[in-house]
Amino acid sequence: MFDAALFALTWRVTRKRFFGSPPALAAALAFPAFIAWIGLHDSYGTAARIFYFILPHAFLLSAQDAVRTDIESGVLENALFAAGRFRGFLMAKGLVAAAVAGGYALLLCGLFAAWGMALGAFRASDLVRIGLALLAGLYYVALAGILSHFLRGGANVLALLLAQAAVLVALLFSVSARTGLLDYAASGRFPGLGPKLLFGGLGLILPNVVVTGRPTLFAAGVLAGLLAALLIQTWLLRRLELGWRRGS
Amino acid sequence: MIEVHRLAKRFGPVEALRDISFRTAKGTITAMLGENGAGKTTTLKILLGFLRPDAGSVTIAPGRVGYVPDRPSYFPWLDGWTILDLVRDAAGGRDGGNGRDFRPRVLAVSRDLLFDPGLLRRRPASYSAGNARKFAYLQSLAAGPDLLVVDEPYASLDPPSIKAVRNVLCGLREAGRTVLLSSHMLVEMERIADGFVVIRRGATIAHAGLREWRVMRSARTAPDLETVFLRLAGP
Repeated sequence: MFDAALFALTWRVTRKRFFGSPPALAAALAFPAFIAWIGLHDSYGTAARIFYFILPHAFLLSAQDAVRTDIESGVLENALFAAGRFRGFLMAKGLVAAAVAGGYALLLCGLFAAWGMALGAFRASDLVRIGLALLAGLYYVALAGILSHFLRGGANVLALLLAQAAVLVALLFSVSARTGLLDYAASGRFPGLGPKLLFGGLGLILPNVVVTGRPTLFAAGVLAGLLAALLIQTWLLRRLELGWRRGS
Repeated sequence: MIEVHRLAKRFGPVEALRDISFRTAKGTITAMLGENGAGKTTTLKILLGFLRPDAGSVTIAPGRVGYVPDRPSYFPWLDGWTILDLVRDAAGGRDGGNGRDFRPRVLAVSRDLLFDPGLLRRRPASYSAGNARKFAYLQSLAAGPDLLVVDEPYASLDPPSIKAVRNVLCGLREAGRTVLLSSHMLVEMERIADGFVVIRRGATIAHAGLREWRVMRSARTAPDLETVFLRLAGP
């Protein structure tokens, strides 16, 4: 059941954390500045490719510190979160993170689209890429939410970034192969079940690829991942209890 | 007000609670006594819905519940007033009668607790242990609780603050509110509690009202609470 009062409480608690964090604000300003710099020094098209590819990471960064830190710090052992309301708070926290990142992403997309229209470079297909980037972002929030049940602080985000770096290094090595994963990705064609599964696996930790290739196939994969991640997170939250300390 | 029936709880191989049962009446102060690791905090956490029991049941009369934990912790980016505003909104907000009179009530309770309201502009996460404790009381009392649950009521408090908290707890009882305390301070509990529950190794071993015992004490036919506790909780 949706608890509007609990959602309002979560919004007030979490909003202050986002807007009161200088590193988060600096990152939020640095990203569009970087994209503008690329657009001015290269082309709108190059900037667009990088912009849509990186945009889902805004959601990923918003999902750090979601569960474990709150549990271990003891802040949830408060009358505000009694009667099991801490579970609703943690669930709503993911929604707030998605809403804040989504608002930020839509604002940037609006500005970027306006820039493209002014240059005559914005295409209708870019709207699909925006939708796919948002979908990948939502998947990030759900995935990072699961990881944060086990990893404290920003370690959930760091773990994903490290995994992505490892996959990208593996991809760089695969480039030397005539039919490596990058070739498949660039063409958007996957001959055989093996490469399809491999690319699906890549999409699970780097959903940003959803904006690069064939929208329908990728979107279906990321959507399935998002639904699975939400189910797992709901299951984890239902089982969650607030710790037991020896000597109590 | 509270009815706890045959609670049991395991944490893996550790049997934290095996048979906890007790009942408290409205408008009373009940002290839960027990050694370290007896299961007092686990019982409180089940009462408050932070843990689920493996067996047994807890029934609490409808109403607002306040909680003062042993070691209160706060979101490090929220100041005192913001947390209290969240409490006000959770307790019914402006529509629930907690709006106009909320800040005056906060200031009045702060006075009662010997808590400097100027600290509310700062973040409770940066308070000293004693002030963090007093803020936890303030947070719970500002919402006007029907039931107040306190783990170690006097932990981290200086003597004047202990006296202030004692008066606040007794004031709650006089106002018809119910208080459940978990404590090791037997002399203090003897002073303010109406009933006690002794827990040992996860089970209730005694549950009684203090009125009759006080009569016996005054007639010198009963030992002090410390002696009773040591006998009950002894090896």
